[in-house]
Amino acid sequence: MLRGYISDLEKGDVFKPVEYVITPFMCSEYAHGSEETSEFFHSERNAAGRQVRPPTMIHVDKMRILEANCDKEQRVSGMKGPDARVHYEYHAKHHSPAYVGERVIVTGHIVDKYVKRGRPYLWYYLEVRTADGRLVTTYNDLTLLKYKVES
Amino acid sequence: MSAPTFEVGAELVGPVRAITPTRIEWYDSAMLSAATDELRQVGVNIHTDPEFAKAEGFVTANADGMIMTNWCSEMLTRVFGLHYLSRGELRTKYIKPTNLGVELHVRGRVKEAAKQQNGNTLYSIDVWCEDEHGTKLVDGDAKVEVARG
Repeated sequence: MLRGYISDLEKGDVFKPVEYVITPFMCSEYAHGSEETSEFFHSERNAAGRQVRPPTMIHVDKMRILEANCDKEQRVSGMKGPDARVHYEYHAKHHSPAYVGERVIVTGHIVDKYVKRGRPYLWYYLEVRTADGRLVTTYNDLTLLKYKVES
Repeated sequence: MSAPTFEVGAELVGPVRAITPTRIEWYDSAMLSAATDELRQVGVNIHTDPEFAKAEGFVTANADGMIMTNWCSEMLTRVFGLHYLSRGELRTKYIKPTNLGVELHVRGRVKEAAKQQNGNTLYSIDVWCEDEHGTKLVDGDAKVEVARG
């Protein structure tokens, strides 16, 4: 179910897309936060000749799309859900780089939701495309909705 | 774009870094900053507060998995450059919590190098992170299609 907590999401839910223009600050600050010093992400002085969006920024796109679709648990705004969630698996495929100044559109849906060894998992699928339709990233994500197993 | 070449079995060496509260705060705040396009500061969560983490069933505060994923990605960017950014793939699985105080070693090994019909080479790479005792905390793999030089 959309519009609730992240743990309310169900298999088949289709997210309302989000879109934004990639800024130099977004790329540089995200890279800086993980001590990534490659010039690809900090300026245009690199082999691409343009400042590149770090491919792992798909994680930020996940946070953006959850913010727009889960009104009761807008984590970026500081809201919390009933339980701490734990990221379990990241799987990103890069189809083309995205660059500073480009507008990108993030779409996605819930592939599955299931319980394994007493713990609930949520499987997301996201795509990032530029506004003119170029595929940038496809992404599968598995998140554990609650780490603590009730005894 | 130059074309790096590797034999099967070649080792890739990534960063070796301690998991500190400062590093955890750097990532979580940067993630929020990138999402909002303004400087932000992370609040209390399982990564930043040991007591909160304990209440949620963890031994102590632990690193956001994306920190390790980013360090794996850093290794691949350094080795393969634009080939990785343009035609790469990375999967990481957080098989154990990476707790505060761990000394994390990022590693990789070329598993396969397959020549493609277009002359490119598709590398399949095992990627993982282990602690200072050699215990694997993050497991994964990557693929990078290197354009012929």
